[in-house]
Amino acid sequence: MAILTLKEIKKEFTKGEQKVFALRGVDLNIDKGEFLSIVGPSGSGKTTLLNIIGCLDTPTSGNIEYDGKVLGTLNEKALSQYRKENIGFIFQSYNLIPVLSVLENIELPMVIEKKMDQSEITEKAMDIIKAVGLESMAHRLPREISGGQEQRVAIARALVKNPIVVLADEPTANLDSTTAQEIIALMEKINQERQTTFVFSTHDPRMQEHAKRVIVLKDGAIADDERR
Amino acid sequence: MNMLIKIAFRNLLRHKWRTLLTGIVIAFGLWIYLFMDSVMSGLDRGSIDNMINLSTSAVKIHTAEFDKERESFPLNYGLTNIAALEKHLAGHERVKACAPRTQFLGELSNYEESMPVIGTIIEPKQDSMVFSLTEYLKGNYFSEHGVNEIILGKDLARDMNVAIGDNITLFALTKYESHNAEDFIVIGLFHTTDPTLNKSGAYITFKDANTFLDLENTVTELNVQLKRRINLDDLEQDMKQVRAYIDKQFPKLATYTFIELGAGVLELVKQKKAWGVGMTLVFLLIAAVGIVNSVLMSVYERVREVGVLRALGLEGREIVRMFMLEGTMIGFFGSFVGVLLGCITIFVLTTVGYPLDVIYKDMYVDTAGFPYWGTIYGEWNVPLIIGTFLFGIATAFLASIYPARKAATMSVIQAIRFF
Ligand SMILES: Nc1ncnc2c1ncn2[C@@H]1O[C@H](COP(=O)(O)OP(=O)(O)OP(=O)(O)O)[C@@H](O)[C@H]1O
Ligand SMILES: [Mg+2]
Repeated sequence: MAILTLKEIKKEFTKGEQKVFALRGVDLNIDKGEFLSIVGPSGSGKTTLLNIIGCLDTPTSGNIEYDGKVLGTLNEKALSQYRKENIGFIFQSYNLIPVLSVLENIELPMVIEKKMDQSEITEKAMDIIKAVGLESMAHRLPREISGGQEQRVAIARALVKNPIVVLADEPTANLDSTTAQEIIALMEKINQERQTTFVFSTHDPRMQEHAKRVIVLKDGAIADDERR
Repeated sequence: MNMLIKIAFRNLLRHKWRTLLTGIVIAFGLWIYLFMDSVMSGLDRGSIDNMINLSTSAVKIHTAEFDKERESFPLNYGLTNIAALEKHLAGHERVKACAPRTQFLGELSNYEESMPVIGTIIEPKQDSMVFSLTEYLKGNYFSEHGVNEIILGKDLARDMNVAIGDNITLFALTKYESHNAEDFIVIGLFHTTDPTLNKSGAYITFKDANTFLDLENTVTELNVQLKRRINLDDLEQDMKQVRAYIDKQFPKLATYTFIELGAGVLELVKQKKAWGVGMTLVFLLIAAVGIVNSVLMSVYERVREVGVLRALGLEGREIVRMFMLEGTMIGFFGSFVGVLLGCITIFVLTTVGYPLDVIYKDMYVDTAGFPYWGTIYGEWNVPLIIGTFLFGIATAFLASIYPARKAATMSVIQAIRFF
């Protein structure tokens, strides 16, 4: 069953006088537990698509449905709420808040949510931190760990609230290939163990090998949708 | 939310120098203000007290006729009802004492040269209850049985080349406008804070003046001293009250308070206060610009961070709060340090004092048109200190509104796309 449905998503930007059609009508169903990769040349609309899926940006036209709920009608505040509760993010770089420790960064989404007390939050964060193998770094600051470790922290942070879907925009672009492999393996492991849905964009062909479904974007439209 | 405080605080620590510099501007501004205010208040109080204690007294009573010609110090418009006046005054709770005086114009001569003087005729015992000439006196005050004794200003004596124990001749017009001269013996010299008095002041007694000037005990002014209150506003209040009290019983007399007699001084005091406030505002404006700049820099440096926080669900107003906390904290620390330094300075000023005479040697320091020397003691003004502290924080608070809102209104996408 699809947890996420995109219908006729269009997005245009106006750059000065010019109009840029970043997405030209994207239809997409994503099921629970998918490990989905979005690929395509630079400027094809990958980031734009992920932003729209993540409710970080609104489409010019078209609908997104999460679990049958239409998001197009929600206002900024409700979107923010939805984002908080249902979506985890991993960015390409500069993921972590530099003044907060690894542990505090992972706790952050729960602290922002204000639903649990601090001891519960810490407990949960410690569980996740173990899952990504960083328990010994819990009290370090982001600048005191490596890029790969930072990305693991970002993954841990994206997972703490058991989101419906974790979105990652080129999570390995800044990493060397061995580290990139480790990160993708970690994501895969979590996907299998927890049935967390992953949607990630990438340029890296080796990352695509791990994906169970590859969407190819070209000029803002889906050119290919391959399941393995 | 304490996470926001944590982030704001750590970011301040992360940019120590920026924080410190902005904080220092605030601290310095507030410190200077508190320091100046304390010294100025002390100085003003000193000047005002000296004026009251040396020449004007708190409330001065003349006849209306005298008042019209006061410039020429006439001797024929004396108060006729002194006893009744004194009795009436004694009935007011804020009145401490009163003393009669009569002033005249004369010339002092040592047969080589002569100098104009403003003579003041006093009732020695009573006068010292109201005025504090004795505090500035070298030599002796008037003795009970002494005859033709005179006390002169230090500068006048120097110019006339006389010392204590010397004789000197005083010329003046008597009450009936005939010229008269009389030899006086210099028994004391005074060095007050009023240079005019030091240069042309001469004091004699009513007893001697009665023969010298055919005075017949004419009193042209009755000076009233009030029970001391530290605060200037209170003093003004008391003076007005006492004047009203006199006016009610003696409506025909011309009664002046220090508010009129020292109007120039009081006006300058107020101007200086306004000036001090203005200067502090300038400092705080500079500090405000510093804070706007500092927080704005923070915002621009952390565009991505803001984007990540927004993506994680932090709401716009929480972003605003985070940056405003940052700015306000700078203001808080700056104000705290400034006020702390201010309090230490005021403490030193009130206990040790500010030795003007040591710092400026023999120079007169002209304050509010009325000179002062000696040691100034600062004054505590607790409401002002608290107000200053809050004002510093408020400035920082207000200054961080703009950059904080800027951070919150940035689109999430723009924020994350930045690099
Ligand atoms: N905020 C914006 N303003 C104007 N044009 C934009 C904006 N965001 C994206 N675009 C344009 O939309 C198109 C798609 O951009 P997008 O960033 O989604 O591509 P991408 O596939 O992520 O590229 P890359 O692989 O380089 O990250 C591009 O032509 C881009 O210039
Ligand atoms: Mg991209």
